[in-house]
Amino acid sequence: MASGDPLVLGIETSCDETGVALVRGDELLVDATASSMDEHARYGGIIPEVASRAHLEAMIPTISKALGEADVDLSEVDAIAVTAGPGLVGPLTIGTSAAKALAIGLNKPLYGVNHVVGHAAVDQLVDGPFPDRVMALVVSGGHSSLLLVDDIATDVTELGSTLDDAAGEAFDKVGRLLGLPYPGGPHIDRLAREGDPTAIRFPRGLTAAKDQAKHAYDFSFSGLKTAVARWVEACQDSGREVPVADVAASFAEAVVDVLTAKTIAACRLHDVETLVIGGGFSANSQLREMAAKRCAEAGIDLRIPPIRYCTDNGAMIAALGSAVVRAGVAPSNLDIGVDSSMSLTTVTV
Amino acid sequence: MAVLSIDTSAAVAVALVAEDGTLLAARSVDERRRHAEQLAPMIAGVLAEAGLDRGDLTAVVGGTGPAPFTGLRVGLVTARTLALAVGVPALGVPSLDALAVQAVTDLALAPDDEVLVATDARRKEVYWARYRVVSQGGIDGVPVVEPVAGPDVARPADLGDALAPPAAGRLVVVGEGATLYPDVLTVTDGAPVQPDAAALARVALQRRDAGLDLPTEPLYLRRPDVQEPVAKPRVVPATGAVVGGDA
Repeated sequence: MASGDPLVLGIETSCDETGVALVRGDELLVDATASSMDEHARYGGIIPEVASRAHLEAMIPTISKALGEADVDLSEVDAIAVTAGPGLVGPLTIGTSAAKALAIGLNKPLYGVNHVVGHAAVDQLVDGPFPDRVMALVVSGGHSSLLLVDDIATDVTELGSTLDDAAGEAFDKVGRLLGLPYPGGPHIDRLAREGDPTAIRFPRGLTAAKDQAKHAYDFSFSGLKTAVARWVEACQDSGREVPVADVAASFAEAVVDVLTAKTIAACRLHDVETLVIGGGFSANSQLREMAAKRCAEAGIDLRIPPIRYCTDNGAMIAALGSAVVRAGVAPSNLDIGVDSSMSLTTVTV
Repeated sequence: MAVLSIDTSAAVAVALVAEDGTLLAARSVDERRRHAEQLAPMIAGVLAEAGLDRGDLTAVVGGTGPAPFTGLRVGLVTARTLALAVGVPALGVPSLDALAVQAVTDLALAPDDEVLVATDARRKEVYWARYRVVSQGGIDGVPVVEPVAGPDVARPADLGDALAPPAAGRLVVVGEGATLYPDVLTVTDGAPVQPDAAALARVALQRRDAGLDLPTEPLYLRRPDVQEPVAKPRVVPATGAVVGGDA
C-alpha cells in the first residue's frame, strides 16, 4: 500500500444499490453494497421512490459495515467522494446528503463525481494506473457511452452515447417480451449460449452510411428491440413456436456487434491502444468474447474488471475520488445539487 | 455542549440549542424544492455563528415529518450521518409535535386545550395530528403535549372528528396546511405555521431526558406510487385474420 496516499471514502446511490467503499491510492480496502433490487423485480423496473426509501435505511448500516470490515475509523478518512450524477434524483439526493454530513462531521473535503466516469475509473483498482490515453466503453442498464479518457480526473471526452435505450435496458425489455423474469439481461445471456447468433439477422442501429456523419459513435437499440418484437409476433401469429434461444443469441449478437465495432473504430481513429469496458452490462458473455476477439485482431489491450467491480458500487466512486484528490482537483462546495443527466465530460462538480 | 436540530418537513430549518434549551443560532430558508442544496451550508453556518466545533455537539435531532418524501429524507439522512460522523446519538421527533409545542407557547394554551396541527401534504391533502396540552412547561420549561389522534393524511373536508370540540378546554388549529384550506379549516390567529428547529430540539431533549426512545424513521404515511406492470400492447396491430383470437 502507498501509505502516503489519501484514504478516500466513496458513496454511490445513483440507482438501486447503496455502495460504500474505501480506497487508498489504487488499492481497494473494502467495498460494501446493499441492494433494493428484490423490491423492484415485481414491478419490472426500478421504482425511484422505493429505491430512495431503501437508500435512507441502508446508508448508516452500509457505512458501518465498510468501516468494520476494513477496521478503519471514520477519523482516518481523508476525503469523501460521492456520485453527484447522472442517475435518479431521489436516490442521488440521499448519497450526496450523507456525503455532505460526513464532510461537515469529519471536517474533510467533499468531491461530487460522475457515476459513468467512475465505471471506467474502477478498473485502475484491478489493472493498475491507466496509460496516457484510454478508450472507455461504459455499458449498463442506464448507460451506453463511449469515452476518450486522457486523464480520468480532469480530461474525459464523450465520443458517443445511446440516443434511446441503454444496452442493458434493451436486454431487459427484450427479456420481458420473451417472458423472462426481470432483469432480463442475465437470462438472455444464459439462453443465448444455447442459441445460434446468426439464426436471425436483426438490424444494427446507426451503422448505415448516412448515420456516420453525425452518429458514428452513438448507439441506438430501440429500433432493434422493436424489430425483435415484430419478429416474435410474426412467429407467434404463424403458429410456430418461438425459438427463444436463437432469438436471444441473435439479438445479443446485434447489440454486441454494434458496441464493439464502433468502439474499435474509435480506438483506431484516436490512436488508442487500451480499451476499458465497465458497467453492469460488461458481464454479458457475448460482449466479453467479441471484444476480446476484435481487440486481439486490432492489437488493442483490453481491460475488463471482474463483474463485481462492473456493477454499481462504492468502489468505482472511491476509485475516481482517489484519482481526483491525487490530481489536486478543488473540492466541491457544500451546496452542490444532483444532476440526473450530468454531462459525461464533467468528472467533478 | 449543544444539540444540532434539523427540520426539512416544510422549509429548511436548522438550529443549535444548548443542553439547557438556550437558542445559540438558527437559520431557515423557505425553499421547498432544493432542500439538499440548502441544508449543509446552513449547518456549517450555525456552527460558525455560534463559534462551536462539531466536537461540541451532544446529539443531532431530525424532524421525522410527516412530510413530502424527498425533502424529509434529506434532513433525516443528514441527521443520522452527521451523528455517526461526530459519534453522538441521532434523535427523531415528529415535526408535527414541534408545531403543537410551539402552539402552546405562541397561543398561551392551558392544560386540556387541544391542538389540531395540519401541514401541507400536497395533492389537496394535509398531514394532521391532534394533541392535548398536558403542561404549559415541564421541569425544563418546555410545554408537554400528548397525541390524541393521528398522525395521518387526509383531505381537509374529510377531517371530521379531528375537528370536534374537546371535552374540556378549547381547540386551536395551527400549521401551514390549515392556512391553505380556509373554506374548511380556520387557522387560529397567531398560530405557528412552520416547525421551528429550536422547538424540535427542546422536545427532543425533554424526551431524551425522560428516557424515551426517539427513532429517526420517516413518517411517510403514503405508499410509493407504483403499479404492477401490465402486458405491453403488440408492436404490430393484430390483423383481421386474428380478431376473435387471443387479441
